[in-house]
Amino acid sequence: MIAPALDVKKTWVSRELKHNRQLFRAQFSPDGKFIAAGGQDKLVHAWELEGENKMTFDAHKTWVSSLTFHPKAKCLFTADYLGVIHCWDYESGGKPKWTIPNADQDNVRALVVTPDGKYLLSAGDDAIIKVWNPANGKPLTQLAGHTECIFSLAISPDGKHLVSGDLLGCVRQWNLGNWKPVRELNAKILHTRLDNFIADVGGARSLAFSNDGKILAVGGMKEAKSNAFCPGKPTVLIFDWASGKQKIELGIKGKSDGPFNALRFLEDGTLIGHTEILHTNSELTFWKTDTPDPLHSISNGSAYDLSLHPDGRQLLVPTYVSGGASGNGARERHREEYPPNKTSLKIFSLSAKPAEDKKAG
Amino acid sequence: MKTTPHNHACGNADHRISRRQMLGTLGGAVGFGSLLQPAFAKEIKKQEKRVCLIWLDGGMSQYESWHPLPNSKFAGPFRNIKTSIPGIHFSELMPHTAKIAHKISVIRSMETKDPNHSTGVPRVQRGDPLDRGVDYPYLGSAIAKLLGPANPGLPPYLWIKPGNGGFIHREAGFLGTRYGAMALGDGRPPVHIQRPDSISAELDAARNALRQKANERFKAYRGASEIDAYETSYDMALQLMARKDIFDDAQLGPKDKERYGSHPLGRHILRARQLLEAGVRFVKVNSYHWDTHGDNFNMSQRLVPQIDQPFAALINDLEDRGLLDHTLVVLMSEFGRTPIINSRLGRDHWPDCWSIGLAGCGIKRGAIIGKTTKDGAFVDGEGYDIGHLFHTIFTLLGINPDKTHYRHKGQKLAIANDECEPIKEVMM
Repeated sequence: MIAPALDVKKTWVSRELKHNRQLFRAQFSPDGKFIAAGGQDKLVHAWELEGENKMTFDAHKTWVSSLTFHPKAKCLFTADYLGVIHCWDYESGGKPKWTIPNADQDNVRALVVTPDGKYLLSAGDDAIIKVWNPANGKPLTQLAGHTECIFSLAISPDGKHLVSGDLLGCVRQWNLGNWKPVRELNAKILHTRLDNFIADVGGARSLAFSNDGKILAVGGMKEAKSNAFCPGKPTVLIFDWASGKQKIELGIKGKSDGPFNALRFLEDGTLIGHTEILHTNSELTFWKTDTPDPLHSISNGSAYDLSLHPDGRQLLVPTYVSGGASGNGARERHREEYPPNKTSLKIFSLSAKPAEDKKAG
Repeated sequence: MKTTPHNHACGNADHRISRRQMLGTLGGAVGFGSLLQPAFAKEIKKQEKRVCLIWLDGGMSQYESWHPLPNSKFAGPFRNIKTSIPGIHFSELMPHTAKIAHKISVIRSMETKDPNHSTGVPRVQRGDPLDRGVDYPYLGSAIAKLLGPANPGLPPYLWIKPGNGGFIHREAGFLGTRYGAMALGDGRPPVHIQRPDSISAELDAARNALRQKANERFKAYRGASEIDAYETSYDMALQLMARKDIFDDAQLGPKDKERYGSHPLGRHILRARQLLEAGVRFVKVNSYHWDTHGDNFNMSQRLVPQIDQPFAALINDLEDRGLLDHTLVVLMSEFGRTPIINSRLGRDHWPDCWSIGLAGCGIKRGAIIGKTTKDGAFVDGEGYDIGHLFHTIFTLLGINPDKTHYRHKGQKLAIANDECEPIKEVMM
């Protein structure tokens, strides 16, 4: 079957899976048949898209902070705020195949597997990247160099390099295999610490390589105004990978004031990002990376992850949905019912609706 | 002006702080001991109770501190840890305070009324009295009025805050400007605390006498309020000039800075300890930017340790110095934070059910007070409003809130909300 033409300006929501708690992370499986998601309810949820079978995996003792699939084996890796990584057989369910109890001193914020499936990498609060054997969770090596917590990891499409981004906006490049540090890219504009702040704000929250490996996108926000609301200007920095020089800075036109927590490239070079905002809609943003302003944007609730289906035409966005009781001080209004906020796992189709295709034809 | 500043019977002009007394203690005074003439010594002993109010402006999350409730659907991602009280847990972000839990009390059932900063901060710091058409004083000013200075050689109310200092008369409300706070920007002494070498002590005294004369003359024809504020701030500066030893960091122990932390809140609470040791009646320490509507969990991870470490160090140090039984320490904000986690992984304002920490001066040791609903969202039973806390504070300081009143323009005014009473379960 021929895939429909990409047309991001005609992006629409083709499917929604609802969940009654906030889920931060959601990914398609490499075969596109499953979605796995995790967040505040400490559970890992896996939906089989055909037939809508749902499984729940229960082992984490706190929020699920990160997840990723093995590209070849039927394995799902999930991590949490207590530094634990579990490996699951997501098709058959059951208990974890193996567990790493202390992958980080605190929060594991990022997990990736190399395209050849040989290495699982984790990073988080203790600022040290750990390399694990994905078959059994045994440690292989550690990469030290960051001085603050690491938010993001990405592997170059040629499978030769790892990049890691931290709170201070420092992006480091490492060789895969011999694990040597290569260079540092400057994304420090994504970190803010004004004189009256009592904490650092921002960081290189997301990383993505273009499919041809020529561009590295680094997402976050700049010019944070406080360490309380943490509002800033959502920003993506586009680096020429060969030279390591920043080429352009991408922004948004809408209201969002939180960082880009997730970025994905499409096969035609279009970059997609998602931001967050307080109590109102943020946006799913599309750019051509040679132009600072978005090509297109769609109003959507806050989101912290994006996953591209292997068909390249569907985008999974775990979207915040209000439970109806958000905001300051409930008093008696919600005493009887005070529900937490929820999630809609939205699958966006990145092409025109079939009916529109016909009409256009 | 009369000279019985410690008398707090209702509506008496005697309650005012005596400028003559303040200035009279200045000549040649260097250390506390040099002030202890027999007549004063007895009075100082009576007035030895002190207060340290640590104010985390914006609102610290109770879930990420005093009341973690890890099985609640509103819990954050952090561990809970054991405290020194069997069966009681705090957030893992408070490891130092967990070790001294047996020395403090925690009220987990505060239920106040105001969800806004702009009205909530003054409402809480004034004790939310019944509306009688006047601006009530903030707690520090109230105690400065009701108890006067603990050490007559020092201002009764000092406020350590980030940014600039100066005399903040607004906090005194209807009590009048002289009961305002002398703010120490970044915990530093007022600028120009050192008398320049080029000005002799005699010349300085002559200049002050001239200033006072000019003020008296000006006051005779115009409203006294601004002059009062000016004179009070000047007098307080003079007092602090005579006690510049308090600000000499060289006198601190080598491990003090390490134990309190090098961040502003650590340095400021350490300064508060120095001021309390010197005999300042009321010290307020402010920290701003706790209003974590956005990124609450990353921020709490970095903010809560900044209060945990110096708060525990302060309690330990006051105890080691024999001061904890006489010094009331209150750690609070204008409200807590919402159980619900919002769209930016933040928590919003929540006066409906939140927590505060208390220690010293008749506060029970190791008492964890208040029941909440299972998820911690609401108080289970009767909550405590800020009026209850004010009744408690006054009572612990030896002021009977039922029998003590302010008098303003002929009006008799309760010092604390008439509809509240002390929180007996937190008092020894």
